[in-house]
Amino acid sequence: MSHQTQDLDQEIMQTLLTHLARFPTKSDELNAQTDLAADMNIDSVNMMELLMEVEDTFDVSFPLNMMANVNTVQDLANQIKQLVENRP
Amino acid sequence: MSISDRFAELAHIRDSLGAVEADPSRIVMEKILSPTEAIIGNRPTILVGTNNYLGLTFDNEVLDAACAAMHEQGSGTTGSRMANGSFAGHASLEHDFAEFYGVPSAMIFSTGYQTNLGLLMGILRPGDKVVLDSHSHACIYDGCRISGADFLAFRHNDPEDLRKRLRRLGGDAEGALVIAEGLYSMLGDIAPLADLCAVAKEYGAWFMVDEAHSFGVYGERGLGLCEEAGILDQVDFITGTFSKSLASLGGFCVSRHPEMQLLRYGSRPYIFTASSSPANIAAADAALRAIRTRPDIKDKLWANANRLYDGLKGLGYELASTVSPVIAVRVPSKEEGARLWNALLDEGVYVNLVLPPAAPDSAALLRCSLSAAHSFEQIDAILAAFKAASAGSDMAAGASAQ
Repeated sequence: MSHQTQDLDQEIMQTLLTHLARFPTKSDELNAQTDLAADMNIDSVNMMELLMEVEDTFDVSFPLNMMANVNTVQDLANQIKQLVENRP
Repeated sequence: MSISDRFAELAHIRDSLGAVEADPSRIVMEKILSPTEAIIGNRPTILVGTNNYLGLTFDNEVLDAACAAMHEQGSGTTGSRMANGSFAGHASLEHDFAEFYGVPSAMIFSTGYQTNLGLLMGILRPGDKVVLDSHSHACIYDGCRISGADFLAFRHNDPEDLRKRLRRLGGDAEGALVIAEGLYSMLGDIAPLADLCAVAKEYGAWFMVDEAHSFGVYGERGLGLCEEAGILDQVDFITGTFSKSLASLGGFCVSRHPEMQLLRYGSRPYIFTASSSPANIAAADAALRAIRTRPDIKDKLWANANRLYDGLKGLGYELASTVSPVIAVRVPSKEEGARLWNALLDEGVYVNLVLPPAAPDSAALLRCSLSAAHSFEQIDAILAAFKAASAGSDMAAGASAQ
Protein backbone atom coordinates (compact mmCIF):
# COMPACT_ATOMS: atom_id res chain seq x y z
CA MET A 1 0.00 0.00 0.00
CA SER A 2 1.44 3.38 -1.00
CA HIS A 3 1.88 6.26 1.43
CA GLN A 4 -0.66 8.21 -0.61
CA THR A 5 -3.26 5.48 -0.19
CA GLN A 6 -2.51 5.18 3.51
CA ASP A 7 -2.90 8.93 3.91
CA LEU A 8 -6.26 8.83 2.14
CA ASP A 9 -7.42 5.93 4.32
CA GLN A 10 -6.46 7.82 7.45
CA GLU A 11 -8.02 11.06 6.28
CA ILE A 12 -11.33 9.36 5.48
CA MET A 13 -11.41 7.42 8.75
CA GLN A 14 -10.49 10.48 10.81
CA THR A 15 -13.15 12.57 9.09
CA LEU A 16 -15.79 9.91 9.70
CA LEU A 17 -14.87 9.50 13.34
CA THR A 18 -15.02 13.26 13.81
CA HIS A 19 -18.46 13.48 12.19
CA LEU A 20 -19.72 10.44 14.11
CA ALA A 21 -18.45 11.62 17.48
CA ARG A 22 -21.60 13.64 18.05
CA PHE A 23 -23.75 10.50 18.14
CA PRO A 24 -23.88 8.35 21.28
CA THR A 25 -22.50 4.80 21.00
CA LYS A 26 -23.55 1.77 23.00
CA SER A 27 -19.96 0.62 23.42
CA ASP A 28 -17.31 2.76 25.06
CA GLU A 29 -15.22 3.36 22.00
CA LEU A 30 -16.07 4.57 18.53
CA ASN A 31 -13.81 2.85 16.03
CA ALA A 32 -13.65 1.38 12.53
CA GLN A 33 -15.59 -1.73 13.52
CA THR A 34 -18.46 0.15 15.17
CA ASP A 35 -21.77 -0.91 13.61
CA LEU A 36 -23.64 2.22 12.52
CA ALA A 37 -27.09 0.74 13.09
CA ALA A 38 -26.63 -1.72 15.95
CA ASP A 39 -24.09 0.23 18.03
CA MET A 40 -25.05 3.80 17.23
CA ASN A 41 -28.72 3.68 16.30
CA ILE A 42 -28.32 6.60 13.88
CA ASP A 43 -31.72 7.38 12.40
CA SER A 44 -32.28 7.90 8.69
CA VAL A 45 -32.31 11.69 8.91
CA ASN A 46 -29.02 11.89 10.79
CA MET A 47 -27.46 9.38 8.42
CA MET A 48 -28.46 11.51 5.46
CA GLU A 49 -27.03 14.60 7.12
CA LEU A 50 -23.79 12.72 7.74
CA LEU A 51 -23.58 11.67 4.11
CA MET A 52 -24.16 15.22 2.87
CA GLU A 53 -21.29 16.38 5.10
CA VAL A 54 -19.09 13.59 3.78
CA GLU A 55 -19.97 14.52 0.21
CA ASP A 56 -18.99 18.13 0.86
CA THR A 57 -15.76 17.20 2.63
CA PHE A 58 -14.51 14.93 -0.15
CA ASP A 59 -16.34 16.58 -3.07
CA VAL A 60 -17.98 13.33 -4.14
CA SER A 61 -21.53 12.14 -4.78
CA PHE A 62 -22.54 9.42 -2.32
CA PRO A 63 -25.85 7.89 -3.44
CA LEU A 64 -28.01 6.83 -0.51
CA ASN A 65 -28.61 3.45 -2.12
CA MET A 66 -24.92 2.65 -1.56
CA MET A 67 -25.72 2.46 2.16
CA ALA A 68 -27.25 -0.96 1.52
CA ASN A 69 -23.67 -2.30 1.52
CA VAL A 70 -22.60 -0.42 4.64
CA ASN A 71 -22.73 -1.79 8.20
CA THR A 72 -19.60 -0.55 9.96
CA VAL A 73 -17.62 2.67 9.94
CA GLN A 74 -14.95 0.79 7.95
CA ASP A 75 -17.54 -0.20 5.31
CA LEU A 76 -18.49 3.44 4.94
CA ALA A 77 -14.85 4.49 4.69
CA ASN A 78 -14.28 1.89 1.96
CA GLN A 79 -17.19 3.20 -0.09
CA ILE A 80 -15.98 6.79 0.25
CA LYS A 81 -12.47 5.80 -0.75
CA GLN A 82 -13.81 4.16 -3.87
CA LEU A 83 -15.73 7.32 -4.75
CA VAL A 84 -12.72 9.55 -4.12
CA GLU A 85 -10.44 7.40 -6.23
CA ASN A 86 -12.94 7.35 -9.09
CA ARG A 87 -13.70 11.05 -8.84
CA PRO A 88 -13.91 12.55 -12.36
CA MET B 1 -31.82 -10.15 11.21
CA SER B 2 -34.49 -12.76 11.89
CA ILE B 3 -38.21 -12.03 11.85
CA SER B 4 -38.21 -12.48 15.63
CA ASP B 5 -35.49 -9.84 15.92
CA ARG B 6 -37.52 -7.51 13.75
CA PHE B 7 -40.60 -8.01 15.92
CA ALA B 8 -38.46 -7.18 18.96
CA GLU B 9 -37.22 -4.03 17.22
CA LEU B 10 -40.79 -2.93 16.46
CA ALA B 11 -41.89 -3.72 20.01
CA HIS B 12 -39.11 -1.47 21.26
CA ILE B 13 -40.41 1.40 19.11
CA ARG B 14 -43.95 0.83 20.42
CA ASP B 15 -42.73 0.67 24.02
CA SER B 16 -40.63 3.81 23.71
CA LEU B 17 -43.69 5.70 22.43
CA GLY B 18 -45.78 4.20 25.22
CA ALA B 19 -43.19 5.22 27.82
CA VAL B 20 -43.84 8.88 27.10
CA GLU B 21 -47.56 8.29 26.42
CA ALA B 22 -47.10 9.33 22.81
CA ASP B 23 -48.45 6.38 20.87
CA PRO B 24 -50.71 7.81 18.15
CA SER B 25 -52.15 4.35 17.49
CA ARG B 26 -54.14 4.65 20.70
CA ILE B 27 -56.22 7.45 19.16
CA VAL B 28 -59.54 6.07 17.97
CA MET B 29 -62.16 8.39 16.56
CA GLU B 30 -65.29 6.73 17.87
CA LYS B 31 -67.61 8.92 15.85
CA ILE B 32 -66.86 11.48 13.17
CA LEU B 33 -69.12 14.48 13.67
CA SER B 34 -67.89 16.77 10.89
CA PRO B 35 -64.68 17.57 8.94
CA THR B 36 -63.40 19.28 12.08
CA GLU B 37 -64.86 17.36 15.01
CA ALA B 38 -64.96 13.78 16.30
CA ILE B 39 -65.67 11.87 19.49
CA ILE B 40 -62.37 10.68 20.99
CA GLY B 41 -62.37 9.05 24.40
CA ASN B 42 -66.08 9.74 24.82
CA ARG B 43 -65.70 13.47 24.35
CA PRO B 44 -66.14 15.90 21.45
CA THR B 45 -62.72 16.86 20.10
CA ILE B 46 -61.75 19.54 17.59
CA LEU B 47 -59.62 18.02 14.84
CA VAL B 48 -56.70 20.14 13.73
CA GLY B 49 -54.47 17.36 12.46
CA THR B 50 -56.32 15.77 9.53
CA ASN B 51 -54.95 17.45 6.35
CA ASN B 52 -58.59 18.07 5.43
CA TYR B 53 -57.54 21.45 4.06
CA LEU B 54 -60.69 22.35 2.17
CA GLY B 55 -63.01 20.48 4.54
CA LEU B 56 -64.80 18.78 1.66
CA THR B 57 -65.21 15.34 3.26
CA PHE B 58 -68.75 16.27 4.35
CA ASP B 59 -69.54 18.58 1.42
CA ASN B 60 -73.01 17.76 0.06
CA GLU B 61 -71.89 17.72 -3.57
CA VAL B 62 -68.99 15.39 -2.77
CA LEU B 63 -71.12 13.06 -0.65
CA ASP B 64 -73.96 12.97 -3.21
CA ALA B 65 -71.53 12.19 -6.03
CA ALA B 66 -69.83 9.40 -4.07
CA CYS B 67 -73.15 7.83 -2.99
CA ALA B 68 -74.59 7.99 -6.51
CA ALA B 69 -71.45 6.42 -8.02
CA MET B 70 -71.52 3.61 -5.48
CA HIS B 71 -75.17 2.83 -6.21
CA GLU B 72 -74.67 3.05 -9.97
CA GLN B 73 -71.31 1.28 -10.28
CA GLY B 74 -70.89 -0.80 -7.15
CA SER B 75 -68.68 -0.66 -4.08
CA GLY B 76 -65.39 -1.61 -5.73
CA THR B 77 -63.64 -2.33 -9.02
CA THR B 78 -62.30 -5.71 -7.80
CA GLY B 79 -59.10 -5.46 -9.81
CA SER B 80 -56.57 -3.46 -11.75
CA ARG B 81 -57.28 -1.36 -14.80
CA MET B 82 -54.87 -3.40 -16.91
CA ALA B 83 -56.65 -6.64 -16.04
CA ASN B 84 -60.26 -5.60 -15.50
CA GLY B 85 -60.43 -2.49 -17.66
CA SER B 86 -61.07 1.10 -16.64
CA PHE B 87 -64.38 2.49 -15.48
CA ALA B 88 -65.55 5.58 -17.34
CA GLY B 89 -64.96 7.59 -14.17
CA HIS B 90 -61.24 6.79 -14.14
CA ALA B 91 -60.81 8.04 -17.69
CA SER B 92 -62.93 11.15 -17.24
CA LEU B 93 -61.11 12.14 -14.04
CA GLU B 94 -57.77 11.83 -15.83
CA HIS B 95 -59.20 14.00 -18.61
CA ASP B 96 -60.31 16.57 -16.02
CA PHE B 97 -56.84 16.74 -14.44
CA ALA B 98 -55.15 17.12 -17.83
CA GLU B 99 -57.59 19.86 -18.79
CA PHE B 100 -57.21 21.67 -15.44
CA TYR B 101 -53.42 21.74 -15.79
CA GLY B 102 -53.47 22.30 -19.56
CA VAL B 103 -51.20 19.29 -20.20
CA PRO B 104 -51.45 16.26 -22.50
CA SER B 105 -50.89 13.61 -19.83
CA ALA B 106 -52.64 12.68 -16.61
CA MET B 107 -52.75 9.37 -14.77
CA ILE B 108 -54.49 8.47 -11.55
CA PHE B 109 -53.28 5.94 -9.01
CA SER B 110 -54.96 4.20 -6.11
CA THR B 111 -53.24 6.19 -3.33
CA GLY B 112 -50.94 9.18 -3.08
CA TYR B 113 -48.13 6.93 -1.87
CA GLN B 114 -48.53 4.69 -4.89
CA THR B 115 -48.54 7.72 -7.18
CA ASN B 116 -44.96 8.68 -6.35
CA LEU B 117 -43.95 5.04 -6.19
CA GLY B 118 -45.60 4.42 -9.56
CA LEU B 119 -44.03 7.40 -11.28
CA LEU B 120 -40.54 6.84 -9.91
CA MET B 121 -40.52 3.07 -10.40
CA GLY B 122 -41.87 3.66 -13.89
CA ILE B 123 -39.40 6.26 -15.15
CA LEU B 124 -36.17 5.34 -13.31
CA ARG B 125 -33.76 2.50 -13.93
CA PRO B 126 -30.58 1.35 -12.13
CA GLY B 127 -27.78 3.79 -12.84
CA ASP B 128 -30.09 6.79 -13.33
CA LYS B 129 -29.32 9.79 -11.11
CA VAL B 130 -31.79 11.47 -8.77
CA VAL B 131 -31.20 14.49 -6.54
CA LEU B 132 -34.02 15.00 -4.05
CA ASP B 133 -34.76 17.46 -1.27
CA SER B 134 -33.61 15.92 2.01
CA HIS B 135 -37.07 16.53 3.57
CA SER B 136 -38.85 14.52 0.89
CA HIS B 137 -41.70 12.21 1.89
CA ALA B 138 -41.00 8.53 2.51
CA CYS B 139 -42.81 7.50 -0.70
CA ILE B 140 -40.30 9.50 -2.75
CA TYR B 141 -37.37 7.84 -1.02
CA ASP B 142 -39.04 4.45 -1.39
CA GLY B 143 -39.75 4.97 -5.08
CA CYS B 144 -36.11 5.92 -5.70
CA ARG B 145 -34.84 3.01 -3.63
CA ILE B 146 -37.00 0.38 -5.34
CA SER B 147 -36.15 1.73 -8.80
CA GLY B 148 -32.46 0.97 -8.24
CA ALA B 149 -31.45 4.49 -9.32
CA ASP B 150 -28.58 6.32 -7.63
CA PHE B 151 -30.23 8.93 -5.43
CA LEU B 152 -28.71 11.60 -3.24
CA ALA B 153 -30.15 14.42 -1.18
CA PHE B 154 -29.66 18.18 -1.38
CA ARG B 155 -30.08 20.35 1.69
CA HIS B 156 -33.69 21.27 2.32
CA ASN B 157 -34.99 24.17 0.22
CA ASP B 158 -31.44 25.20 -0.79
CA PRO B 159 -31.05 25.85 -4.55
CA GLU B 160 -27.30 26.51 -4.21
CA ASP B 161 -26.81 23.17 -2.50
CA LEU B 162 -28.74 21.54 -5.35
CA ARG B 163 -26.45 23.31 -7.82
CA LYS B 164 -23.39 21.99 -5.99
CA ARG B 165 -24.62 18.41 -6.10
CA LEU B 166 -25.62 18.59 -9.76
CA ARG B 167 -22.19 20.03 -10.57
CA ARG B 168 -20.57 17.06 -8.84
CA LEU B 169 -22.49 14.69 -11.08
CA GLY B 170 -20.60 16.07 -14.07
CA GLY B 171 -22.05 14.80 -17.33
CA ASP B 172 -24.58 12.67 -15.45
CA ALA B 173 -26.44 15.80 -14.32
CA GLU B 174 -27.95 16.09 -17.78
CA GLY B 175 -30.96 13.81 -17.72
CA ALA B 176 -30.92 13.44 -13.93
CA LEU B 177 -34.19 13.85 -12.02
CA VAL B 178 -34.53 16.61 -9.41
CA ILE B 179 -37.38 16.20 -6.91
CA ALA B 180 -38.95 18.73 -4.55
CA GLU B 181 -42.29 19.12 -2.82
CA GLY B 182 -44.52 22.18 -2.76
CA LEU B 183 -45.64 22.55 0.85
CA TYR B 184 -43.63 20.36 3.22
CA SER B 185 -45.99 18.51 5.50
CA MET B 186 -44.06 18.51 8.76
CA LEU B 187 -42.66 22.04 9.13
CA GLY B 188 -45.26 23.73 6.91
CA ASP B 189 -42.62 25.53 4.86
CA ILE B 190 -42.76 25.97 1.10
CA ALA B 191 -40.11 25.25 -1.52
CA PRO B 192 -38.41 27.96 -3.61
CA LEU B 193 -39.66 26.16 -6.69
CA ALA B 194 -38.76 28.79 -9.29
CA ASP B 195 -35.13 28.79 -8.13
CA LEU B 196 -34.92 24.99 -7.86
CA CYS B 197 -36.47 24.60 -11.30
CA ALA B 198 -34.02 27.11 -12.78
CA VAL B 199 -31.05 25.20 -11.37
CA ALA B 200 -32.41 21.86 -12.61
CA LYS B 201 -32.96 23.25 -16.09
CA GLU B 202 -29.52 24.90 -16.11
CA TYR B 203 -28.03 21.42 -15.85
CA GLY B 204 -30.47 19.79 -18.26
CA ALA B 205 -32.17 17.82 -15.48
CA TRP B 206 -35.82 16.83 -15.28
CA PHE B 207 -37.87 18.45 -12.51
CA MET B 208 -40.62 16.76 -10.48
CA VAL B 209 -42.77 18.39 -7.79
CA ASP B 210 -45.02 16.63 -5.30
CA GLU B 211 -47.96 18.93 -4.54
CA ALA B 212 -49.63 16.54 -2.07
CA HIS B 213 -50.12 19.27 0.52
CA SER B 214 -50.26 22.29 -1.79
CA PHE B 215 -52.75 21.27 -4.49
CA GLY B 216 -56.03 23.12 -3.98
CA VAL B 217 -54.39 25.39 -1.45
CA TYR B 218 -51.86 27.50 -3.41
CA GLY B 219 -52.03 29.22 -6.79
CA GLU B 220 -54.72 31.51 -8.14
CA ARG B 221 -56.65 28.56 -9.59
CA GLY B 222 -55.64 26.15 -6.85
CA LEU B 223 -53.20 24.19 -8.99
CA GLY B 224 -50.52 24.41 -6.33
CA LEU B 225 -47.16 26.01 -5.77
CA CYS B 226 -45.95 25.36 -9.33
CA GLU B 227 -48.74 27.66 -10.48
CA GLU B 228 -47.83 30.24 -7.84
CA ALA B 229 -44.14 30.03 -8.84
CA GLY B 230 -45.02 30.46 -12.53
CA ILE B 231 -43.27 27.24 -13.63
CA LEU B 232 -46.18 25.12 -14.85
CA ASP B 233 -44.74 25.19 -18.37
CA GLN B 234 -41.30 24.01 -17.19
CA VAL B 235 -41.90 21.37 -14.53
CA ASP B 236 -41.85 17.89 -16.02
CA PHE B 237 -43.97 15.89 -13.56
CA ILE B 238 -46.43 17.05 -10.90
CA THR B 239 -47.88 14.54 -8.47
CA GLY B 240 -50.60 14.94 -5.87
CA THR B 241 -53.02 13.07 -3.70
CA PHE B 242 -56.79 12.80 -3.38
CA SER B 243 -56.58 12.30 0.37
CA LYS B 244 -56.11 15.91 1.41
CA SER B 245 -57.78 18.79 -0.44
CA LEU B 246 -59.66 16.35 -2.67
CA ALA B 247 -61.36 14.64 0.29
CA SER B 248 -61.03 11.13 -1.10
CA LEU B 249 -58.45 8.38 -1.62
CA GLY B 250 -56.09 8.13 -4.59
CA GLY B 251 -53.48 10.20 -6.38
CA PHE B 252 -52.65 11.86 -9.68
CA CYS B 253 -49.67 12.61 -11.87
CA VAL B 254 -49.73 15.17 -14.68
CA SER B 255 -47.03 15.93 -17.20
CA ARG B 256 -46.32 18.21 -20.12
CA HIS B 257 -44.78 15.15 -21.80
CA PRO B 258 -47.35 13.03 -23.67
CA GLU B 259 -45.04 10.02 -23.19
CA MET B 260 -45.83 9.93 -19.47
CA GLN B 261 -48.97 7.97 -20.39
CA LEU B 262 -46.69 5.11 -21.40
CA LEU B 263 -46.26 4.33 -17.69
CA ARG B 264 -49.51 2.41 -18.01
CA TYR B 265 -47.37 -0.29 -19.61
CA GLY B 266 -44.50 -0.29 -17.15
CA SER B 267 -45.39 1.07 -13.73
CA ARG B 268 -45.89 -1.82 -11.34
CA PRO B 269 -47.81 0.19 -8.67
CA TYR B 270 -50.24 1.17 -11.45
CA ILE B 271 -50.52 -2.24 -13.09
CA PHE B 272 -50.58 -4.60 -10.14
CA THR B 273 -53.12 -3.06 -7.79
CA ALA B 274 -56.86 -2.57 -7.69
CA SER B 275 -58.04 0.69 -9.23
CA SER B 276 -59.80 3.34 -7.16
CA SER B 277 -63.40 2.58 -6.22
CA PRO B 278 -66.27 4.40 -7.96
CA ALA B 279 -67.05 6.30 -4.73
CA ASN B 280 -63.43 7.45 -4.39
CA ILE B 281 -63.30 8.61 -7.99
CA ALA B 282 -66.63 10.42 -7.85
CA ALA B 283 -65.71 12.14 -4.57
CA ALA B 284 -62.38 13.33 -6.00
CA ASP B 285 -64.10 14.50 -9.17
CA ALA B 286 -66.67 16.50 -7.19
CA ALA B 287 -63.95 17.98 -4.97
CA LEU B 288 -61.92 18.94 -8.04
CA ARG B 289 -65.00 20.70 -9.38
CA ALA B 290 -65.32 22.54 -6.07
CA ILE B 291 -61.70 23.72 -6.29
CA ARG B 292 -62.31 24.98 -9.82
CA THR B 293 -65.59 26.76 -9.13
CA ARG B 294 -65.62 27.76 -5.44
CA PRO B 295 -62.48 29.82 -4.69
CA ASP B 296 -64.08 31.11 -1.50
CA ILE B 297 -63.25 27.76 0.16
CA LYS B 298 -59.54 28.40 -0.24
CA ASP B 299 -59.97 31.96 1.03
CA LYS B 300 -61.63 30.65 4.20
CA LEU B 301 -58.77 28.18 4.75
CA TRP B 302 -56.23 30.99 4.59
CA ALA B 303 -58.27 33.17 6.94
CA ASN B 304 -58.26 30.29 9.43
CA ALA B 305 -54.53 29.68 8.97
CA ASN B 306 -53.75 33.33 9.59
CA ARG B 307 -55.95 33.41 12.70
CA LEU B 308 -54.33 30.36 14.28
CA TYR B 309 -50.82 31.42 13.28
CA ASP B 310 -51.22 34.92 14.72
CA GLY B 311 -52.84 33.51 17.85
CA LEU B 312 -50.07 31.00 18.53
CA LYS B 313 -47.45 33.67 17.89
CA GLY B 314 -49.28 35.90 20.33
CA LEU B 315 -49.14 33.14 22.93
CA GLY B 316 -45.37 33.08 22.54
CA TYR B 317 -44.95 29.79 20.72
CA GLU B 318 -42.02 29.16 18.40
CA LEU B 319 -43.44 28.26 15.00
CA ALA B 320 -41.47 26.32 12.42
CA SER B 321 -42.25 28.43 9.36
CA THR B 322 -44.18 31.38 7.99
CA VAL B 323 -47.95 31.08 7.82
CA SER B 324 -49.35 28.16 5.83
CA PRO B 325 -52.18 25.66 6.25
CA VAL B 326 -49.66 23.55 8.21
CA ILE B 327 -48.57 25.26 11.42
CA ALA B 328 -45.95 23.38 13.42
CA VAL B 329 -45.20 24.39 17.01
CA ARG B 330 -41.63 23.57 18.02
CA VAL B 331 -41.24 21.78 21.34
CA PRO B 332 -37.76 21.28 22.83
CA SER B 333 -38.06 17.58 23.71
CA LYS B 334 -40.20 14.59 22.87
CA GLU B 335 -41.23 14.27 26.52
CA GLU B 336 -42.54 17.84 26.59
CA GLY B 337 -44.14 17.30 23.18
CA ALA B 338 -45.96 14.23 24.45
CA ARG B 339 -47.06 16.03 27.61
CA LEU B 340 -48.51 18.93 25.63
CA TRP B 341 -50.10 16.61 23.05
CA ASN B 342 -51.90 14.72 25.83
CA ALA B 343 -52.85 17.95 27.58
CA LEU B 344 -54.36 19.26 24.33
CA LEU B 345 -56.37 16.05 23.99
CA ASP B 346 -57.62 16.54 27.54
CA GLU B 347 -58.67 20.04 26.48
CA GLY B 348 -60.56 18.56 23.51
CA VAL B 349 -58.11 19.35 20.69
CA TYR B 350 -56.39 16.81 18.46
CA VAL B 351 -53.12 17.80 16.76
CA ASN B 352 -50.36 15.61 15.30
CA LEU B 353 -47.43 14.80 17.55
CA VAL B 354 -44.31 14.58 15.40
CA LEU B 355 -41.20 13.05 16.93
CA PRO B 356 -37.65 12.61 15.60
CA PRO B 357 -36.61 11.59 12.99
CA ALA B 358 -39.72 13.03 11.34
CA ALA B 359 -39.15 16.19 13.38
CA PRO B 360 -35.76 17.86 12.92
CA ASP B 361 -33.13 18.82 15.51
CA SER B 362 -34.07 16.11 18.03
CA ALA B 363 -37.05 18.22 19.02
CA ALA B 364 -40.75 17.53 18.65
CA LEU B 365 -43.50 19.25 16.74
CA LEU B 366 -47.14 19.81 17.57
CA ARG B 367 -48.41 19.91 14.03
CA CYS B 368 -51.67 21.64 13.23
CA SER B 369 -53.30 21.35 9.82
CA LEU B 370 -56.05 23.87 9.21
CA SER B 371 -59.31 23.29 7.39
CA ALA B 372 -61.61 25.70 5.58
CA ALA B 373 -64.36 23.99 7.58
CA HIS B 374 -63.01 25.26 10.91
CA SER B 375 -65.06 28.11 12.34
CA PHE B 376 -63.37 31.08 13.95
CA GLU B 377 -64.92 29.90 17.22
CA GLN B 378 -63.07 26.58 16.84
CA ILE B 379 -59.80 28.38 16.08
CA ASP B 380 -60.24 30.41 19.24
CA ALA B 381 -61.01 27.23 21.20
CA ILE B 382 -57.80 25.65 19.84
CA LEU B 383 -55.84 28.70 21.00
CA ALA B 384 -57.45 28.53 24.44
CA ALA B 385 -56.51 24.85 24.65
CA PHE B 386 -52.88 25.61 23.79
CA LYS B 387 -52.84 28.29 26.46
CA ALA B 388 -54.29 25.94 29.07
CA ALA B 389 -52.05 23.02 28.04
CA SER B 390 -48.87 25.04 28.38
CA ALA B 391 -49.78 26.67 31.69
CA GLY B 392 -46.86 26.20 34.04
CA SER B 393 -44.38 25.29 31.32
CA ASP B 394 -41.74 27.44 29.60
CA MET B 395 -43.19 26.63 26.22
CA ALA B 396 -45.11 29.81 25.63
CA ALA B 397 -43.46 32.63 27.48
CA GLY B 398 -46.14 35.06 26.44
CA ALA B 399 -48.98 32.81 27.50
CA SER B 400 -48.86 33.67 31.18
CA ALA B 401 -48.74 37.36 30.42
CA GLN B 402 -52.05 37.34 28.52
